[in-house]
Amino acid sequence: MNRVKVVFGHLSPPNTFKSHSGPVISGEQCKALSTGPDDIVVVHGVRTAIGKAKRGSFKDTTPDELLSSVMTAVLADVGLSPERLGDICVGNVLQPGAGALMARVALFLSGFPETVPVYVVNRMCSSGLQALFNVAGAIQMGCYDMGLACGVESMSLRNPGEPGDVSSRLMDNDKARDCIIPMGITSENVAERFGISREKQDKFAFSSQQKAIQAQKRGVFDQEICPVTTRFVDKDGLEHTVTVTKDDGIRPGTTLAGLTKLRAAFKPDGSTTAGNSSQVSDGAAAVLLGRRSAVEALSLPILGVLRASAVVGVPPDVMGIGPAYAIPVALKQAGLSVADIDVFEINEAFASQAVYCVEKLGIPLEKVNPNGGAIALGHPLGCTGARQVVTLLNELKRRGRRSFGVVSMCIGTGMGAAAVFEYPGV
Amino acid sequence: MKAFKFPARHGYSVEISPFIPTRLACATSQYYGIAGCGTLLVLEQTETGITLVKSLDWNDGLFDVTWSESNEHILVTGGGDGSLQVWDTANPQPRPLQVLKEHTQEVYSVDWSQTREENLVVSGSWDGTAKVWDPSCGGVSLCTLQGHEGVIYSTLWSPHIPGCFASASGDGTLRVWDVKSGRCRLAIPAHRAEVLSCDWCKYDQNVVVTGAVDCSLCVWDLRNVREPLSRLLGHSYAIRRVKFSPFNQTVLASCSYDFTVRFWDYSRREQPLLETLEHHSEFVCGLDFNLHIPNQVTYQGALLSSHLPRLVFDPRHCQHKLCISICSG
Repeated sequence: MNRVKVVFGHLSPPNTFKSHSGPVISGEQCKALSTGPDDIVVVHGVRTAIGKAKRGSFKDTTPDELLSSVMTAVLADVGLSPERLGDICVGNVLQPGAGALMARVALFLSGFPETVPVYVVNRMCSSGLQALFNVAGAIQMGCYDMGLACGVESMSLRNPGEPGDVSSRLMDNDKARDCIIPMGITSENVAERFGISREKQDKFAFSSQQKAIQAQKRGVFDQEICPVTTRFVDKDGLEHTVTVTKDDGIRPGTTLAGLTKLRAAFKPDGSTTAGNSSQVSDGAAAVLLGRRSAVEALSLPILGVLRASAVVGVPPDVMGIGPAYAIPVALKQAGLSVADIDVFEINEAFASQAVYCVEKLGIPLEKVNPNGGAIALGHPLGCTGARQVVTLLNELKRRGRRSFGVVSMCIGTGMGAAAVFEYPGV
Repeated sequence: MKAFKFPARHGYSVEISPFIPTRLACATSQYYGIAGCGTLLVLEQTETGITLVKSLDWNDGLFDVTWSESNEHILVTGGGDGSLQVWDTANPQPRPLQVLKEHTQEVYSVDWSQTREENLVVSGSWDGTAKVWDPSCGGVSLCTLQGHEGVIYSTLWSPHIPGCFASASGDGTLRVWDVKSGRCRLAIPAHRAEVLSCDWCKYDQNVVVTGAVDCSLCVWDLRNVREPLSRLLGHSYAIRRVKFSPFNQTVLASCSYDFTVRFWDYSRREQPLLETLEHHSEFVCGLDFNLHIPNQVTYQGALLSSHLPRLVFDPRHCQHKLCISICSG
């Protein structure tokens, strides 16, 4: 090259410059700049099918069996020996003490050695995500390199209800008293206070069903569901061994007209119905996490990178608005905006609160729960967070390109949790 | 202020040793870098002036130099013949230990990685590619990064993120690369003009500055590149090199074809220009902060002059003078 020409170019007037014509890679992707050996990465995740509580596929299956299925499958899929696990954290809501005993039993049923520890966590509907936060935090702290975050719930065998021992002074404190408001009433509160019409809720519920039907038809969930072989007692009292591979809450017969006709479930003039609320369900999910350096040293795949995590408090009587407050905090941590996110997995505890959060944050509807949510699939409380992570990362992977996704949910007693994940691309 | 002159050579780049506070390296070329040979000068700053420690000749102009971060005697230069030279100043032979020849045109920038457990050199060339080398293992590059649509003038490792470097190009863009994946992570149309220089903030891994032919400096937050954090105007000709201060998060220095060196604090919205030094009578091409001695800045002039003026300057004195002049004014 003619060096004189180049140097004279530096001294020429700027308007002679020919502008860069190539594709601009936007700044939206730059959080991955901080890719480093200490990143917390998701190696793999699986879930069971989700069964309708008390009637569905897992009505006779104990949670340790569900948990054992996903714990075993997630390691077997990537060929990792359980000895490598520094710890296991299991999210659970309804078992006594969040199922501390049940989780240890599940570990042994999975054939894991006694040297691998396990514990449980209960942050209600976010327990599965909280388990992931806990394992990520311990890895970041340097406690260990690889850990398993799980969530499990059998709502067939346990009912929410028993509040435990609380002071009678609870009634003297407005916020404390609001903590015992039934969840359906908090949904009515959100709908009333923020003007989320019955029509909007039903439309959202209908779309959740439609998306789930399509996803199931296309086999989208087959990649994330691990088959569970279990016992099932039919209506004649006969016991069968069944292998469950499909979510049974999805209702192909759902019509918008049908949803509109349903009666309000929580108060006579209300707008929250069985059709626009999450289903009561059984299920489990497991997510294998690791420090990037360790994951790479073991030649394991990287399905996602945890970029941010947040939990916030909101008024207990409108607990459903939690995601509207948690998501911005997590996005800020990640240095991203709503526009940078390709997929939002926002738990559909109720259509009212999901619609509120989506509208409040200005999220385009097509980015929300592209394969349906808890209204169609079900909401096994402790499992949900981990299940959403599995569904999200598989969806981003299916789309192929490097992108970001968010998992979020509201939490009873007034909280919201959110996490930002990056799918690193192929 | 101290100065050093060397006959028949023009300075293109000056770097202070990361090991010895008084040691400097200077990449120079004959005939304004347009033709002829090049010389790597190793200089020592004494109490009274600057003395020559060693001069090492190469058959083509040398445009950039970088010190090894692992061995105080090792230097790498980039040359007009498209090669990189690895020099050992402890070697009695005045020849490079190694010559890395892959670029097909002028190598205009070389930089030795500062992140731990990496001993990588990145080079940027007028052939439009950047290459990553491990000088300790053979003469073959580890990878070649393609994407720029013009010549590359500057390549610099992130001081924070392993395997990440930025490049400034004649195509008007600043690009950020991830060596591990071999891909460009970010392409910012930084100026509507050739971008001649860039540098990373030493305190914030997301902040990068670019200097361009349009006489402006732009400070970028890589998380939001729709517009720069700050645009610094003042130079009257193309900006040849810009560097962030190692001591202050928002202070940077730039040198230009307008013969000046300017200090800026981009956090000062109203008046970011701290001072302008006019010690040169030609284009100023090289510039470095002394890591060991706060406030010491080295810079050099080059091109179109028959000698190489070299100045080591302490801005504290200048500020002092400035102070007096304000008082007396």
